[in-house]
Amino acid sequence: MACGRAEHRATGAGSLAVTDDAGRAVTLAAPARRIVSLAPSSTELLFAIGAGDRVVGRTTWCRYPAAALRVPVVGDGLNPNVEAVVAQHPDLVVLYASALNETAARQFERLGIPAVILRQDLLEDVARDARMLGRLTAHESGGDSVARAVLEVFEAPIRRRVAFVVWDNPPMVIGAGSFLDQQVALAGASNAFHDLGSASAAVSLETIAARDPDVVITIADSDDTRLPAFASAREWQVVRAVRERRVLTLPGALFGRPSPRAAAAVAELRRRLEALR
Amino acid sequence: MDPELILAAQGVRYRYPGASGDALGGVSLTARRGDLVAVLGPNGSGKTTLLRVALGALAPAAGSALVAGRPAAAWSRRELARLVGVVPQREETVFPQRVREAVLLGRYPHLSMFGAERPADHEAVNRALAQCDAGHLAGRWMATLSGGEYQRVRVARALAQEPRLLVLDEPTISLDLRHEMELFELVRGLVDRSALAVVLVTHHVNLAARFADRVLLLDGGRVAGEGAPAEVLTRETVERVFAWPVAIETYQGAPQMIPQRRRSDT
Amino acid sequence: MKWTGLIALAVLAFALAVLLGPAHVPAAELLRSPIVRDLRLPRAVLAFLVGGSLGVAGASLQALVRNPLADPYLLGLSGGASLGAVAAIALHVGGPWALPLAAFVGALAAMGLVYRLGLVGGAELDPRVLVLAGVAVGAFAAAVSTAIVSLSEATALRNAFLWLWGGLSGANWDTVLALCLYAPLPLAVLFAAARPLDLLALGEEPAGYLGVDVAVLKRWVYVAASLLTAAAVAVSGVIGFVGLIVPHIGRLLWGHRHRALLPVAFLGGGTLLSFADTAARVAVAPRELPVGIVTALVGVPVFALLLRRWTRN
Repeated sequence: MACGRAEHRATGAGSLAVTDDAGRAVTLAAPARRIVSLAPSSTELLFAIGAGDRVVGRTTWCRYPAAALRVPVVGDGLNPNVEAVVAQHPDLVVLYASALNETAARQFERLGIPAVILRQDLLEDVARDARMLGRLTAHESGGDSVARAVLEVFEAPIRRRVAFVVWDNPPMVIGAGSFLDQQVALAGASNAFHDLGSASAAVSLETIAARDPDVVITIADSDDTRLPAFASAREWQVVRAVRERRVLTLPGALFGRPSPRAAAAVAELRRRLEALR
Repeated sequence: MDPELILAAQGVRYRYPGASGDALGGVSLTARRGDLVAVLGPNGSGKTTLLRVALGALAPAAGSALVAGRPAAAWSRRELARLVGVVPQREETVFPQRVREAVLLGRYPHLSMFGAERPADHEAVNRALAQCDAGHLAGRWMATLSGGEYQRVRVARALAQEPRLLVLDEPTISLDLRHEMELFELVRGLVDRSALAVVLVTHHVNLAARFADRVLLLDGGRVAGEGAPAEVLTRETVERVFAWPVAIETYQGAPQMIPQRRRSDT
Repeated sequence: MKWTGLIALAVLAFALAVLLGPAHVPAAELLRSPIVRDLRLPRAVLAFLVGGSLGVAGASLQALVRNPLADPYLLGLSGGASLGAVAAIALHVGGPWALPLAAFVGALAAMGLVYRLGLVGGAELDPRVLVLAGVAVGAFAAAVSTAIVSLSEATALRNAFLWLWGGLSGANWDTVLALCLYAPLPLAVLFAAARPLDLLALGEEPAGYLGVDVAVLKRWVYVAASLLTAAAVAVSGVIGFVGLIVPHIGRLLWGHRHRALLPVAFLGGGTLLSFADTAARVAVAPRELPVGIVTALVGVPVFALLLRRWTRN
């Protein structure tokens, strides 16, 4: 379990102080009312905890939930367009963890706009950030309920060993450091590569064949549910699950990143695993 | 068609692309079996250009260049290499080589594409080395040779091609007296013993006059004189071509030019 | 003596590639195991074909441009291949042959462009012009690739660079067959050019006088070496170092004559890549290293050792 890194204490009437996922201490004089969110994950979280009406700027990739599409776009989020962000007169900017964004966060602070950096690799991160954003927007109850929903799902064990294959050449699988591994566990199945500590790793094809997962899972960019291209590659037929066409393609919209919809994701995964009897 | 006439360039005219004037204007060069022809002239008079045109490396704007009776360009490079052995002025030495290997390269025009070297090829190499008095150098690395030895090996390589014509472009440029004489003696000996035809480009007028049968003197791309050394190398001609006062004296029947010093002004 | 050693080393490399691996295959089941038959065997053969092709291409190109620092990717081929692959991914072109074919076409396009540039101003494939053109084309292709990647959202593109790093993961019997049918022709052309390449080292004019048709030779060698490299990249991404180092190791032990050097470069390149791929699969099992890293880690010490021995002589 990730240790809760967010501290929240009131340091003056109405002011809020938190420590974000990059270890930065951020203080708001009052709960944020105009928020620019520069990552799809934080946009979705803000809407999920009930603060969606306070979002005044998003990136082109922030498309969930549907209500977010009405929010003005201020850039593509990879290299923040500081001017476009400032033009929305925000009192809080939310960014995802990257080197460019750390620089951007400092720029915003110099302009007097508080910025928080979020990092979500595991489901616990979603819960923690839900609570943090809840504090910052005076939507604590919304934050808490999202946090609980994300962590309080599990299904009864099912005898399925899976391997998440996210790339075919070289074959890259998901390990214990990823939320997908968590979702597999919550769905009651086991990840054949749980022994790998990192979120993803390149492995030899023969390793996948030797570990003989019951099901191979991939994630599609879109809602395309067809088999991935590598399923018909000759060398992949050595993997029993591929040979027997026990390959699941999960929609990227639901499984692409850890999100408040984790419960729905786990349930969907479980449903599909059971259907592949 | 004279079968002894190996090289016959007639009235060739050539201009390098982008140049303002002709590098060669109506020059003829012939070489017969048993001939040692020296091509002389100041820098930039077109000596190397003449060689390139005569051997088909450059196409002349006018005139003809025949090798063994056929246009030079009509021969394939391989066939031409079996007729003419060239020792160019400059050569790169990118990698270390032994003398024997270096001379063996001259057998290329006689080898088949995938075939290995045959005993006949190695014999040709040995003969070539012997002719150049370089047999004792066979196992040495090229980089350890003196300037004179190096040039002899290059001549041996050209001889390994078993050509009918040997062309040398300024072979003695960086050689000291002894090695320069040795090279000229070597070339003269080849002509006398094996009736090779030799075209020798050199700036050493005096040695050319003593060793060559015929001389071709170039001046600014044109012929200043052609024939026996005594006929061509007159004081007037030499002074005009080399733009310096000389005296001509005869030594062992060959004209020798002696450059004069400037008179100091009083 | 040297030859026996090299062949023995090659056999050893092949054997290790088949016997060793992250998956445990009991000795008794070796012949029947699908992992060995359908994964390790074709991968071992492919390592030899690719490594050998890169070795021969590298040696030939070093002779062509008369520069010992040349490697098969000098002439912009890797840039062209990555652009082709990136474009294929960005356009969501499907099918298992999409990436290799796109990379191959990209590499050929780069080859054609560099060739055309090499003829500019009547240069007739002047080595210096070729090298500069190759650098320019490679840089241009890399820039366009980066632009495509930065404008696209697909995480697949991030992983595309993993493919380009080089790896034999996609090895199967179909790929091996394709390469076996394709490679002999450019290889034969280069072997036929062995002697003329020796002569080319003297300079283009001297080589011409010794009987080499220099213009024709340069064209054939350039095209054949590029075709080999393009195929290698298409099949296994950009595996660096093999084409650069193996010819040098070969020269240290066998000398400069290409009739010996080219076969040595083939066997040596295949052996090196085979050892490197086995190490890549086994060293951090169950994870796998990119083979390009291993070729560098293995190649450099071997080269340094040989260099010391050579300079001491």
